[in-house]
Amino acid sequence: MRVAADEAVTVSFTVNGRPATVQVAPRVTLSDALRDHLGLTGTHIGCEHGVCGMCTVIVDGDAARACLLLACQLEGSEIITVEGLGKPDDLHPLQASFSDHHALQCGFCTPGMLMSSYDLLKHKPGISAEDLPDQMSGVLCRCTGYRHIMDAVADVSESYPGGIPGPRNCGHAALLPRTSTGGGSAGDGGHEIAAAEGPKEIHVPQSEPTVTIDVASEVAASVDELWVVIDDTERMARCLPGAELVDDFGDDKYLGRIQVALGPVKLSFVGDIHVTERDPDSHSLRALAEANDPSGGTVQGVVQLEIDPSGEGSIINAHAEMHMTGRIAQFGRSLADDVSNDMFNQFTAALDATARGEEPEVGGAPPSAVKMATRLVLARARALVQRIKRKE
Amino acid sequence: MKAAPFAYVRPTRLQDAVTELGSAQHGGGKVIAGGQSLVPVLAMRLGRPSTLVDITRVEELTHMTVDDQCLRVAAAVRQRRVQREASQLVPLLGLALPWVGHREIRSRGTVCGSLAHADPSAEMPAVAMSLNATVEVTGPNGRRQVSAADFFTGAMATVTEPTEIVTSVSFPIASSDEGYGFAEIARRHGDYAIAGVAARVRSTSGAVVEAPITSFGVSDKPQLRDMSGALQRAVDSLGDPAAPTSEITNALEEPAHAMAEDVVTTAGDSHGSTAYRKRLVRVLAARELARAYRSSLKGA
Repeated sequence: MRVAADEAVTVSFTVNGRPATVQVAPRVTLSDALRDHLGLTGTHIGCEHGVCGMCTVIVDGDAARACLLLACQLEGSEIITVEGLGKPDDLHPLQASFSDHHALQCGFCTPGMLMSSYDLLKHKPGISAEDLPDQMSGVLCRCTGYRHIMDAVADVSESYPGGIPGPRNCGHAALLPRTSTGGGSAGDGGHEIAAAEGPKEIHVPQSEPTVTIDVASEVAASVDELWVVIDDTERMARCLPGAELVDDFGDDKYLGRIQVALGPVKLSFVGDIHVTERDPDSHSLRALAEANDPSGGTVQGVVQLEIDPSGEGSIINAHAEMHMTGRIAQFGRSLADDVSNDMFNQFTAALDATARGEEPEVGGAPPSAVKMATRLVLARARALVQRIKRKE
Repeated sequence: MKAAPFAYVRPTRLQDAVTELGSAQHGGGKVIAGGQSLVPVLAMRLGRPSTLVDITRVEELTHMTVDDQCLRVAAAVRQRRVQREASQLVPLLGLALPWVGHREIRSRGTVCGSLAHADPSAEMPAVAMSLNATVEVTGPNGRRQVSAADFFTGAMATVTEPTEIVTSVSFPIASSDEGYGFAEIARRHGDYAIAGVAARVRSTSGAVVEAPITSFGVSDKPQLRDMSGALQRAVDSLGDPAAPTSEITNALEEPAHAMAEDVVTTAGDSHGSTAYRKRLVRVLAARELARAYRSSLKGA
C-alpha cells in the first residue's frame, strides 16, 4: 500500500460494532477521524500529543490514545468509543457509578476516564482501590481532583469482581458517515444525485432501533381505495412529506429521496427502498430502506404497513423500526421519535386524501420548518397533558 | 498539534520495507510501528519525515518466539503483549514494563520501537543493557546483531543507519540463580523517569557472580555499571548472605553514592537538579541491588 502525502486513503474498520469507512490523508489521527469524519464527538481531544488521555478509546480490545494513532494504520481494527459504552436509558455500570459518585464536573475528561477504567477493570477485575491512582494515571482531570473518580471506579471494581460487563451500545451507535471532506455539497438540500448504479444491498442492524414507530390512523378511505395507492409505489411515495422516487430498478427496488427541514436543520436523505413483501389479501406491505444524508447521517429501517377495515373507512397501521445515526440522531431519541411519528401521521393523512381522489397537500415539497415545529410543539404539549392526566 | 503531511507506505515483506526506507525522498523516511514516540514528535512538528514506512503488517515482525536461551521480540510486537505473555520468562521485563508510559501507551507501543527511539529516560533501553540483550538490525546489506551495550550512542541516537530497521530484540531467558530489581521516580506514574535503575544479580551459594545495573534519565544514554565487586564486599561486611534487604541496602550506600557521582551527568531540568538525580540514583541503586541479590538467593 502506498499513499502520497496529499492523497486520501480509504480505511475501513469497525466502530462500536458497526462497519465504518473513512477517507483520510495519512497524517489524520484516529481522534480526528472519529470526530471530524464520523461525527463521534464523544471522544475528546486535549493535548493531541499523548499526555492528557482525553481521547482514550478501545482499539482491538485494549485502551489506546486516539491522538497517537494514525487512522490509516487501523485498517480492520475494532474500535469502541464512549458512545459505544452505554445508552442514555441503559448506562454502563461505570457510567452509572460516575453519576452516583458525582465523578464529573465539567465532563471534559469523562470519556477518557470511562474508557480507561473500562479497560482497566476488563483486564484486572477486582483491582483494589489503593492501586487505582497509579493504574488510572493515564488520564488527567482538572476539576474534581480525582477522588470521586477513583471512588466511582472502585465501586464498580468491587461490584463486579469477576469482570465488568461489555459495552452496552455496540451495534447501533451514533455513527455519522460524513463525507471525508467533512461537509459535502448538500447546500440547501438540493444536491445532485449521482447516477444510480443499481440497487444496493440493505443491511438493517439487528440491534435495538433508535426509534420505533407505531402509528394507527383511522381514515375515511376504504381498504381497497388505499391499497390501490399503496400498490403504486410512485403515488405512495408522493404521500410521504418531502419524498420523491428517483429511480425504479425493477423487482420492487427503488432509489428515493426525502427532505426534512426542522428549524435551521435541513436534511436530504437519498437511498434505497426495497419492498420485500406485498400481500394484497391481508393488505400489508413490508419494506427495507437505507439512506444517507451527505452532510452526515444514515437512516436504516424496516417499515410495515397494514390496512384493516374499520366502520365506513379503515385503519392504517404503521410499524417502523428506524436505526438513525448522524445529526438527526444527535437531536436525541425523543425528538427523533416526535419527528418520525409526525411524518407518519402526515403520511397516512396524505394517503387517505389520495385514496379518496384528493390531491395530497404534501407531495414532493419538504415539510415546512414552521409547520413541523408547530406540530412538534403541539404534539409535545399534548403528550405532556396526557402524562399529567395519567398521574392524576 | 497536527502533523505536517507525509506519504505512507505499508509493505508486507521486510525486504520491501527496507527498500521503501532506502528510496524515501531525500532520506526522509521513518519507520512507524506503534508510533507512541513518533506520533507526538510529528504532532509537535519536531520531525517532518517525508514518508512513513509502516512495518506492522510485515508478518515476520509480528512474532514473539522463545527458544532455549532467548525470548525474541520482533519489531511489531506491542509492549502490553510482552507484559502479558513474557513477564515470567524475563522477569526484569515484567518489573519494568508497567513503568513504560501508561497502559494506554503500552497497548500500542512496541519494545523495539522504544529501543530504536532511545530516549535517555526510557525504561526498555536500560533493561536491554542490564540483561545484555541483542538487537537485530536489518538494512540494505542484510541483518546484523548488536549487543545492547553497543547499540545506544547518545540521546535518541543509536547505531542504526537511516536506511536500517530494528527488526527484533532478544532477551536471555532468566536463570534460577538470578534476581532482579527495578525502580524509577517520575512526576506521575507513566511519565518519563526523572531517574531510575534496572538491576540484575546472579549469585552462586551467596557469592555474587554478576551484578550489572543500568541507570537511566541521568545522562545522554543509559549507563551500565558492574557492581559485582561492591555488592560482594557489602554482603561480606555483613557476614551473612541471608541478611535482610534493608541491611544490604545500607551496606551499599557508599558504593552506590560513588556510582551515582559517576553516572549522573545531566545538567538537570525543571523536574530535578543534577544533585537530586544523584540522590535518587544512590538510593534506588542500593535498594534495587540488594533486592536483586536477595531474590537471586531464592532460586538457587
